[in-house]
Amino acid sequence: MNTKKVLLLCFWALLALFLADLGLAEKKVLRMATTTSTDNTGLLDYLAPIFKKDTGIELQWIAVGTGKALKLGQNCDVDILMVHAPSAEKAFIKAGYGINRREIMYNDFIIVGPPDDPAGIKGMSATEALRKIANQKAIFVSRGDHSGTHKKEETLWKTAGIDPNKLDKEPWYIQTGQGMLATLNVASEKRGYTLTDRGTFIKYEATLKGKPILVILVEGDKIIRNQYSVIEINPEHCPNVKNDLARTFSDWITSPKIQQAIANFRLMGKQLFIPNAKTK
Amino acid sequence: MIPLYEIKNLIHKYGEKVALKIDNLTISDRGVTALLGPNGAGKSTLLRLLALVEKPTQGQIYLRGEPVGPFCKAFRKVTLLPQQPYLLKRSVFENIAYGLKIRGKKKNLRQKVCEVLSWVGLDPDQFLHRPWYALSGGEAQRVALASRLVLQPEVLLLDEPTASVDAKSAQLIKEAVTKAVSLWGTSLIIATHDWAWINEIADRTLYLIKGHVLPSEMSNLIFGPWTVNGRFWEKRFRDGQRLLLEPPPSKDMDIALISSSSVEIFGNPKPVHDQNLLSFWVTRLNLKTKSGQILVTFSLEDVSFTLEFSKEKFSSYGFVPGKKVWLSFPKKASAWL
Amino acid sequence: MGYITEGIIKAFELLISRDAETYSAILTTLKVSTYAMTASLALGIPLGFFLGFLDFRGKKLLRTIVNTLLAFPTVLIGLLVYALLSQRGPLGQYGLLFTLPGVAIGQTILALPIVIALTATAVESLDRQLRITLLALGANRYQLLCTCIWEARYGILTAAVTAYGRVLTEVGISLMVGGNIKWHTRTITTAIALETSKGEFAMGIALGLVLLLIAFVVNFSLMYLRQRS
Repeated sequence: MNTKKVLLLCFWALLALFLADLGLAEKKVLRMATTTSTDNTGLLDYLAPIFKKDTGIELQWIAVGTGKALKLGQNCDVDILMVHAPSAEKAFIKAGYGINRREIMYNDFIIVGPPDDPAGIKGMSATEALRKIANQKAIFVSRGDHSGTHKKEETLWKTAGIDPNKLDKEPWYIQTGQGMLATLNVASEKRGYTLTDRGTFIKYEATLKGKPILVILVEGDKIIRNQYSVIEINPEHCPNVKNDLARTFSDWITSPKIQQAIANFRLMGKQLFIPNAKTK
Repeated sequence: MIPLYEIKNLIHKYGEKVALKIDNLTISDRGVTALLGPNGAGKSTLLRLLALVEKPTQGQIYLRGEPVGPFCKAFRKVTLLPQQPYLLKRSVFENIAYGLKIRGKKKNLRQKVCEVLSWVGLDPDQFLHRPWYALSGGEAQRVALASRLVLQPEVLLLDEPTASVDAKSAQLIKEAVTKAVSLWGTSLIIATHDWAWINEIADRTLYLIKGHVLPSEMSNLIFGPWTVNGRFWEKRFRDGQRLLLEPPPSKDMDIALISSSSVEIFGNPKPVHDQNLLSFWVTRLNLKTKSGQILVTFSLEDVSFTLEFSKEKFSSYGFVPGKKVWLSFPKKASAWL
Repeated sequence: MGYITEGIIKAFELLISRDAETYSAILTTLKVSTYAMTASLALGIPLGFFLGFLDFRGKKLLRTIVNTLLAFPTVLIGLLVYALLSQRGPLGQYGLLFTLPGVAIGQTILALPIVIALTATAVESLDRQLRITLLALGANRYQLLCTCIWEARYGILTAAVTAYGRVLTEVGISLMVGGNIKWHTRTITTAIALETSKGEFAMGIALGLVLLLIAFVVNFSLMYLRQRS
């Protein structure tokens, strides 16, 4: 029977393909949990091929909020983290989940909003601006996902003297529970203010072909610096993680060559990240 | 000679309902056995059990001395054509070839299929590649029969094979079956209402009623309604005649069996002691082609007795339809159902 | 409205220019859904056959359970499989989280009740005479099973198409178990979710069109097969 043979052949081919997919786990693959901003801006798409060329290691990343990324690391489901919530990171290391935290680059957070600026916050400091938004009950769109940006936002509210936990019930305070770009899109639709990292905002501008619905209103404040770090998952906590590959990545991204590459990464002609790794 | 089938202590139930109860039955090998009885008597059930398609709830069936059941070694020697045959959703060729294919007999497949197809009067050129849905009822029944015949079965069980088909198909089916019996010595068991056909080919008959098999000499049945008359049960006829029988041993029995051997025939009314004496009409004469015996049916309203006579005895009585005779039989039935 | 038209135009551009990212998502979707369908059909058809064909105690209860599982939300399956496959879960040692086989496991769990329930229904609706006929023709147990399944083929095909539709379009499992890793576990649906959240409607629409196209091709070829036989 010819049909039988063909079916059998299909089955074997499928099995082979399946085994090949299973085998990916055996290949030199480094799995990283990272924030949505590094993925959304395209930085990792830019770095991964260079990393592969330099070391032969394939970088696979899962883009989630910093909170979720730390959780993935705690569960031993990834080998390395690239995140931006320094205090949460330090707690993570203190708990014994991660080792060797190294700062790699930063950009800054900015407060963006509709061009007509209904709350009138343009040019203010970050904390003043937030206080004004709260007073005016202007719409503010929050990530609400325990991401690095969200954590930063909470810190800013506290500094401004407003308890972020009480904001939940305010009708003008909207939580998206989604990534930064999604949150920017919600803010555009709702004509609200939001806190974003500069990199993602540039990407947002790029998507809208230079006709953004939101504009930068607050920037340059020292308090809203956005520091990115890499953390290796502690092999003592997670025996199965590929710490050797993680260390290779950590060394590679802090090397002068790659630091320069990060500085060279541009979107719409604008630099997104400023490298600041301390050389060993 | 080892009988073809032997059934011992068989009870078959569907749920709680007893469909068949046979304490002991043997069916002789070779030739044609006819299975008679009203609808719902259990003929189809018995055929399914004999075909080893179902397993009896209790009891054992022996085929040529071997205990048998579904999927046993002898399972493939036997085949059944159910009353409503099911054709597989494939072409006529695939339907007929199915049995051979699952037996791994793939040699000369096409030739064998074409041969049985022509036996049942279907032109292979026209029908071989017809799909299952493009057949009339009679053609479908014939294809179903061909798919059994192609297996050259040792035992062929047919359930009302000619009941729901056109006259031409019925004739072709009968011819094909007869051919199989004479060519391969296939043992045939047929459930049918086709009296003419039974009289022509049957070597023996089994009568089933209410799930029981009657011995052939007892095939005279008296149905109710009964009325109680003293210590007897009485059946009244419209012409005023009365029939008295001792009540049955169990309450749920209401059909009386009168053994043929207990019946006496008189040309004139004659006083009898403690017996029923009733006038009957001769209604039907049948010749059993194979044995030369003559079957005479006597009727009184809804009661019919069929007795068997040799040629000599038959001529001495001078039975002709319409002749009035008196039958006497005991007031105790041979059996009740 | 402009961006919708723009999205559709962009969609065709992406497809015609064989954009690597788009094609990677398409290939991944096809691969993972094929694994899941192969596994769920291989397990589900025999199980569904027995559920529909045999009479046993507790059959009704089992049918009810299977029918309930038909409405199993994909995010819940995603969560369960994630918990199982995570390094801290019972199957963590096999390292299946964030891999295609992991997603395939989740999708198999999704498709299995559909295949079982619809196969059981198809087998139940077979003529009672079929069993008698096959036994009369001398089929053994295995041949009985195979032929019954073949006789119920149209019903089972419907089961397969329904399950495939569900597997192809689910997003919860792929996202949670697969992690939406670019070039690896990014399927059409997770890509659409991502692109939409990024505001890249064109890419989302392009991928949505491809999904529709696949569904159309599958249904059309089945209809063709059905008509031919």
